[in-house]
Amino acid sequence: MAGKYAVRNIRLCTKDCLCLYVCPTGATDTENSIIDVAKCTGCGDCADACPSGAISMVPKEYPKQQSKTQTVKNTLNALVKSKSKQENIAAGLNGKLYRAIEKSNRIMTEDIIREAGYMLPQSENAKDFLQSLIDKNQPEGFPKAAAEELLKTFNNSEENNVMSENKTLKNLMAAFTGEAEANRKYTAYAKKAEQEGKTNAAKLFRAAADAETLHALKHFEVAGKIGSTADNLKDGVAGETYEYKEMYPDFVEEAKTTGNKAALMTFTFAMKAEEVHAGLYQDALDNIDKTEEVFYYLCPVCGNIEKFRPEKCSICGVSGEKFIKY
Amino acid sequence: MAKYVCSVCGYVYDEAKGIPEAGIAPGTKWEELPEDWACPLCGAAKSDFSKSGEVSSERKPAPVINESADIKEMSPLEVSALCTNLARGCEKQYKPYEAARFIELAEYFKSASAPAVKPDVGELASLIEKDIEEGFPSANAAASEANDRGALRALAWSEKVTRIQKSLLTRRQKEGDAMFNNTGVYVCTICGFIYIGDAPPKTCPVCKVPDWKFDKIEGRD
Repeated sequence: MAGKYAVRNIRLCTKDCLCLYVCPTGATDTENSIIDVAKCTGCGDCADACPSGAISMVPKEYPKQQSKTQTVKNTLNALVKSKSKQENIAAGLNGKLYRAIEKSNRIMTEDIIREAGYMLPQSENAKDFLQSLIDKNQPEGFPKAAAEELLKTFNNSEENNVMSENKTLKNLMAAFTGEAEANRKYTAYAKKAEQEGKTNAAKLFRAAADAETLHALKHFEVAGKIGSTADNLKDGVAGETYEYKEMYPDFVEEAKTTGNKAALMTFTFAMKAEEVHAGLYQDALDNIDKTEEVFYYLCPVCGNIEKFRPEKCSICGVSGEKFIKY
Repeated sequence: MAKYVCSVCGYVYDEAKGIPEAGIAPGTKWEELPEDWACPLCGAAKSDFSKSGEVSSERKPAPVINESADIKEMSPLEVSALCTNLARGCEKQYKPYEAARFIELAEYFKSASAPAVKPDVGELASLIEKDIEEGFPSANAAASEANDRGALRALAWSEKVTRIQKSLLTRRQKEGDAMFNNTGVYVCTICGFIYIGDAPPKTCPVCKVPDWKFDKIEGRD
């Protein structure tokens, strides 16, 4: 279903809400019932699931206008002129029948003009028409901005906008990941340089690591990934939970199978610490409005965090004195 | 026993069958039907019917029309209709913002259109007559020649709607305003068909859309 996106016809929607259950990205969960185009991947699952047929998959790019012969255009145009004249006369007459005739003529004119080559608002014909309105010397009051805006919209087709927007978002997140990784890598290199007594190299690595942090934070911010603190705590719970429940258990098993004891230890420490972190995030979220000051103690060996300085780390057994207070 | 066909919606009155549910017994001759009898489907007058088999024989060759289709020569009202058509196109594509911009343009051109000088029912009737006699036959011929099914569809609907307009104007001339006493006037928002009655027909006799696609014309008469 590439190149399509889902739209909901609110008049047909019977609020069975199956779209909420099947959407893989949460694009359908809006209060105003307009499906979020930025999140919709075009998979079509919602349209297939909807029991009232309220969701359609529409193309991002529309086909070209069907070609019309000059004779067809000319004869249809003669009718358009006649019907418009009739609309004009009826508008000047009093009575319900003439209101009906006025409206009826407008509907016929629209239908005939559509078949005379103006089906699609993004077609070349329609764009030429808008351009001719802009070029013409129009009297004051002409809503030129509306014509210009329409022309601009249909010139850079919606797909291009959505596509480039999505691509940039992907690029921002890829750059964020890359910069974040570089920060950790340079920090590790700096530690190594310090151990070797290469202080100048160590300083450079520290400075560069900080520079990558600046980049990463900016990319993350521009990508719109920073929410309210409550949202960020929720995200923290989700991220840590995924790590201790799904990611690390697999990694631990793999390290056991291959007999890599060092990897087994670092994965196990991290897995246990992430579970503690998830719990702490949840706790902080539950008490987000409490103002009483809380202290956290970090185990510098395994990354465990406690709310009181322990006698020794419950994960790696290191002495509580080594814990760093926050 | 003969059959008579409605020129608007294609309903067939069969003398042999009559319309028993409407109190017209089988075998009722066309001439025996009252003069104010109307098509039970679309409301067209008795005079809008023709005897089955008699229509096609007297077809005249279509006149050649060469009206320019240049957009620069369109009247403000035509430009307005083109804009409301494109607004409909935007609505179908779920582009409400763009539809609103086209409506803005359409309203400007409608208000910029000069009102008809001495609007006259006679002129309206003669334009309708001209469409039926010349406009539709030549457009139909061109569309058939080009095998343009889309254009033929639009022409089929519009021609029927034009015929009901003619029928209603004739009826108004005969009956005057009384024809609208205690009854509603409805317009199909898809094809423009006009219906006089207490409620719109269940399906449009011209384009077959359901009744909720009809708009009621409000106001006094």
